Amino acid sequence: MVLDSLRMDGKVAIVTGSGRGLGKAMAKALAAGGAQVVCAARTPEQINETVAEITADGGTAISVPTDVTSSEAVDALVAAAVARFGRLDVMIANAGGGGGPQNLEFWEYPDEAFESVVATNLKSAFFSDRAAARQFVAQGDGGVIVNVASGTAMRGNQQFAYPTAKGGVISLTKSAATMLAKHGIRVNAIVPGYINQRPPRDEQEAEVRRNRGVRVPIRRLGDWWELGPLALYLASDASRYVTGELFIIDGGGLAGGLAPVTFAPAHEIGAAS
Amino acid sequence: MTSPDALAALAAMPGPAHFRLDGKRALIVAAESPVGAAIARGFAEAGAQIALAVLHPNEAVVSAKRLQRELEALGARSTVYVMDVTLGKNVQVTTRQIAKELGGIDVAVCASDLFLGKPIGKTSDSELQQVMAYNFNAHFFVARSASEEMRRNDPAGGRIVLLSHVLGERGLSNTAAYGAAHGATQQLVRSLSQELAPQGVTINGISTGWMDWMQDRLDERDDDAGRAIRFTLPRRAGSPDDVAPMALWLAGSGAGNVTGQVFHVDGGLTQHL
Repeated sequence: MVLDSLRMDGKVAIVTGSGRGLGKAMAKALAAGGAQVVCAARTPEQINETVAEITADGGTAISVPTDVTSSEAVDALVAAAVARFGRLDVMIANAGGGGGPQNLEFWEYPDEAFESVVATNLKSAFFSDRAAARQFVAQGDGGVIVNVASGTAMRGNQQFAYPTAKGGVISLTKSAATMLAKHGIRVNAIVPGYINQRPPRDEQEAEVRRNRGVRVPIRRLGDWWELGPLALYLASDASRYVTGELFIIDGGGLAGGLAPVTFAPAHEIGAAS
Repeated sequence: MTSPDALAALAAMPGPAHFRLDGKRALIVAAESPVGAAIARGFAEAGAQIALAVLHPNEAVVSAKRLQRELEALGARSTVYVMDVTLGKNVQVTTRQIAKELGGIDVAVCASDLFLGKPIGKTSDSELQQVMAYNFNAHFFVARSASEEMRRNDPAGGRIVLLSHVLGERGLSNTAAYGAAHGATQQLVRSLSQELAPQGVTINGISTGWMDWMQDRLDERDDDAGRAIRFTLPRRAGSPDDVAPMALWLAGSGAGNVTGQVFHVDGGLTQHL
């Protein structure tokens, strides 16, 4: 039964970067599906809040403050999940972020900034995937990894280090899927476009979002909660035959992109041009 | 377009609730195919009201009637229609009739598919026409008629899902006509995503790989066909039930920010060297 295949009862999931935004939405969706969720992020306050919200909704979650740029810390995160819940079934490697200097010429970009962005976005995903895979293989009954990349990695743009790191996450996803398939481990990536991290604080912010939204084919920016159902699909048995795949969720942006969204050339065959 | 109030209501729903289709009216074209039937069962389980359109009057109607009884057991109302997908006018009239009887169409799935494996020099004009008719024209006609009905919904909007095949994006001997037709259908998804977005209609493709019902291209006496299946990462052919959950995700209220994408349910077939 299809709806049963989406249930996560008895499964244990780690969601990194789940103190806010997309990670929080994914953690809450998995918990609502029945999973026991381990919320990880660098600062404890926000993940404690996520845990409180999940608990208030009747779900089960714990928080484990983690610096995902440290491989020891990520290994400890997986150990903490196993210590508390006895096993691990799902790793959602969502932590990451922009940062890095803006408006620099390509040739001016400094080593430290590049290394920092790669550590936050690519090394963190590798550490998370590796630690999860190690645990899955030890358990011997498969597992699921979901990486979070970015639409900016799919086309050239004025940013630099962040899309490069996220492009690495996409390759990581495909290679890990290929290397881990024999252990029953599936690896997929979510590729978000422009997504609001939370409801607007005031009318001014809502207006800014409306103005940015008109450039997206669906005429609005995406919302944080829209990652929840996708995460549930990917983390559960519902996606059992899907691996190595990119899930672009961007309101149609990457399907187009040759012209403004309002451009619609009109021409009859045979008409004078 | 989804209103801000409607988006706020969706944001408050728990993740699993986005896979419910209660009150939704779904058209499944080629419902007699194994994948069409599996999607119909999934939608029925999720609470949708269903129109089963079969491509041929005769055995297809018999199998659709059997499917109808299965859906009834799942508590879903459904009706069987014959739709000649080779004729745009017939698709239009039948779709109109279905919309009138159901009070509208919210979701349309087209699973029309006809395989031909032949060298180009041996492919006749009439074979090319048939291959284009069932693998491309049918999808074009269904998208055209269904989107027209979805424009009439209040508020306007709907979800279109086209079933395609990985041969539409990769080369393989003897599949020039079939692959080109599916390539056209996959481009239809991208083009229409831009055109239909302002009226609240999303359109996505599901590209399947080597599936267990595809004896038309996977002759079990052919050793190479067995080797082809072992190109998938799980080393097994996919099943109709592997595909249904993705169709449900795309049809559900969580996927409003997803359009213009062709997702693979192919066991990682297209994602590795």
